[in-house]
This record gives sequence, C-alpha cells and structure tokens, in this order.
Amino acid sequence: MSALPSQRKRVALVIGAGSVKCAAALGLWKVLKREGIALDLVVGCSGGSIYAACMALGYDAEEVEAMTLGMWNRDVTKRRDYASMLGAFLPKLFSFRGHFGMVHGEAVLAALKKGYGDRTFAETVMPLFVVATELATGQQATLDSGRIVDAVRASIAIPYIWEPWEVNGKLMLDGCLSDPLPVDVAIKEGADVIPSYAFHVNSIYTNNLFRANYSFHNLAHHAEILPIVPEFGEPVNLFDTHKFAHVIACGARAAEEQLPYLKQLLAVPESSAPSPEAARVQ
Amino acid sequence: MDIIVEQRTPTTVVRITGSVDGLTADTLMATLQQQIDAGNTRLIADLSGVSYTSSAGLRALLATVKQARSAGGDFRLASVMPPVHKVLEMSGFTTILKLYPDVELAIASFPA
Repeated sequence: MSALPSQRKRVALVIGAGSVKCAAALGLWKVLKREGIALDLVVGCSGGSIYAACMALGYDAEEVEAMTLGMWNRDVTKRRDYASMLGAFLPKLFSFRGHFGMVHGEAVLAALKKGYGDRTFAETVMPLFVVATELATGQQATLDSGRIVDAVRASIAIPYIWEPWEVNGKLMLDGCLSDPLPVDVAIKEGADVIPSYAFHVNSIYTNNLFRANYSFHNLAHHAEILPIVPEFGEPVNLFDTHKFAHVIACGARAAEEQLPYLKQLLAVPESSAPSPEAARVQ
Repeated sequence: MDIIVEQRTPTTVVRITGSVDGLTADTLMATLQQQIDAGNTRLIADLSGVSYTSSAGLRALLATVKQARSAGGDFRLASVMPPVHKVLEMSGFTTILKLYPDVELAIASFPA
C-alpha cells in the first residue's frame, strides 16, 4: 500500500462486526461523498469487511447496497455441511480435522465471488484492511494482500457456522473473536481521525471484548476516534437484508450528527493547538 | 465549549456546556488540573450540557480522575446525557467513574 499523505489529517473509516447492521456505514459513505470528504483507508471486521471491501473497490452506496443484497441472504446458509458435522461428532470414523462448520461454505463463497470476483487488494482505489482471527493462536490477523474474497470469507467465518478459511497458509476465523472494532489497525496505519461504526452483537463474549479493546485503543493514542453508534429502533438480525434502507438511513442520521465536528477537525491543521475560541472558561 | 467553575465547599462543581472532544479537551483538562493544583480535589463535572464526547474527551476525563484520586480526592460525574453515557459505557468508563443523576446527589456523595 502507498504511504499516506502527511500534510493533512488522515481519515480512516472502521466498520466493526455487526452483520446486516454494518450497512449503516453506507449512510456515512453517502454523507462523506456529498460533503466531498475523502477517506484515506477503510478497515472492516466480520460483516463490516463486506462493506469495507465494496467501498475500497470504489463502488458508491447504491451500488454497494445492490451488491450486498445479492451476496448476503438466507441462501448462503441453506446447505448443511453434514460431513463436517459428522467429523466433529464421530471424529475417528469421519476423520475430524480439528474444526468444523454446520453450514456448507460453498454458497457463501460463491456469493462473495459474485461481488468481488478474483480482484485483489492491489486493485482497490483506497487501502483496505480486513481483520480476521488466527484459529491456531486466537491472534488478530490484519489481511491486506491477496484476493479480497479470501480475506472477507475468513473475516466472516462465524465459529461452528462456517469452517475456518485458509489465508496465507493459516486457518482464519471471524475477526470479531479477536478485534470486533479494529480501530487499532487504523491507528497503526497512521490515521488521525477515525469514524468508527460500532454495534452490539448477540454475543456476551464479543461485546465484552469490544469494550475492553475500545477502552484501550481510546487511551493509547493521540488519534481522535469518533464513535458512531446508530439507533435502529428495532431488532436487526443476521439476514434482515429487507431492512437495508432503514439501516442505511439510521447510519446516515448518526453520521449527520458527527458531521459538524468531523468537518471542524479536518479544517484544523494537524500541528496547531486548539483554537482559543474553541473553549471559554469562566 | 463553556466551563463555569463553582465552589460548593468542600466540593468544586465544574459546569460544562458543549462537546468534550479533540478541539476542547485540552482546555477542559487545564481547567480541572488548575483546581486540583489549588487543592480542590473533590471535583464534580456537571455534564447536563454536554451531548458528545470523543476519544480525546475520554482521555481528559481519565487523566483528571487519576490526578484527583492521587491527590486524595475524586472526580465524579453528574447529569450525564444519554449519548455521552453510551460512549462512557462502551469504553468501560462507567466501571471506574462514579456517576450521579444530578449535581446535588454528587455533592452529597462526598463524606462531610
């Protein structure tokens, strides 16, 4: 990836784990386009990686919505992987390989290929980083090279639902197991301003991990993290793609609330102190 | 952002209006630091006028609570608005900061 420009604040969008809720980031994408604010890089985890990859490939919000409708629907979980399940429950008889998934991975891979084809990270219009979790160690893995479809497939490999996916010779699981909101990747890549879409998910473990990571990342660096937490007003579940328009509208509304501050931040030169007008003490 | 400091002996109430973010956090932190340096270590932030905080704001709050407690006092929050409460909760700050529904309850929380 090319070096980021150093004379202005660098903006990274981070889209955390959250399945269909991650489409809320398209709301920000629309607002930023309207305002002429460019992103320097995009980071995605789990469901967020699907949208991050589409954005990095240069699609606009409407195109991404259409693409993801085609990619993410109940068809991807229809076919059960009985061989994998038998391997887990009768390991000696069916040669258990140390991991399994209840759903056959063929459909989800075909769906992702429909969107990304064989395009690679080198073909994106802005740097893209996809977060997954190494099966062997549990460590976070930042994927930024090779085929996008492999990285996204690894990042959404929900444990026990889909088998892990091999990338760079290592088996990978869902990124939400190690780094549900990967603002650390944006910080590491030199971002100064980091709008971050965060979602609570149906996993106590993931939500607690998110809280612990988020706390540390907030305090560990100078970067300004702008948490964007859309209110949906109703449950949005794993395959509620019929709620896309609502989710995107909620994401846009949350983004509009952040916009004045974001614009102020980007207008302030990086080296200058806060303006004396910015605060008044009596 | 506006900051009004009010002495309510033995506590000091800092009423904040506006956003606590990267553009204002330094000024807020300097104001709170001045109070601690002056021996006013029982600090209360009235956040009823604050609708937003970012990571820079969180860093300012944490630095202040550390300094206040090191000096034998505490830094407590009152009247936290829902959007700010959500960010404090997300970042785990509600586990280490004491929050009160209003300023009077926060004042009463300090031993006489």
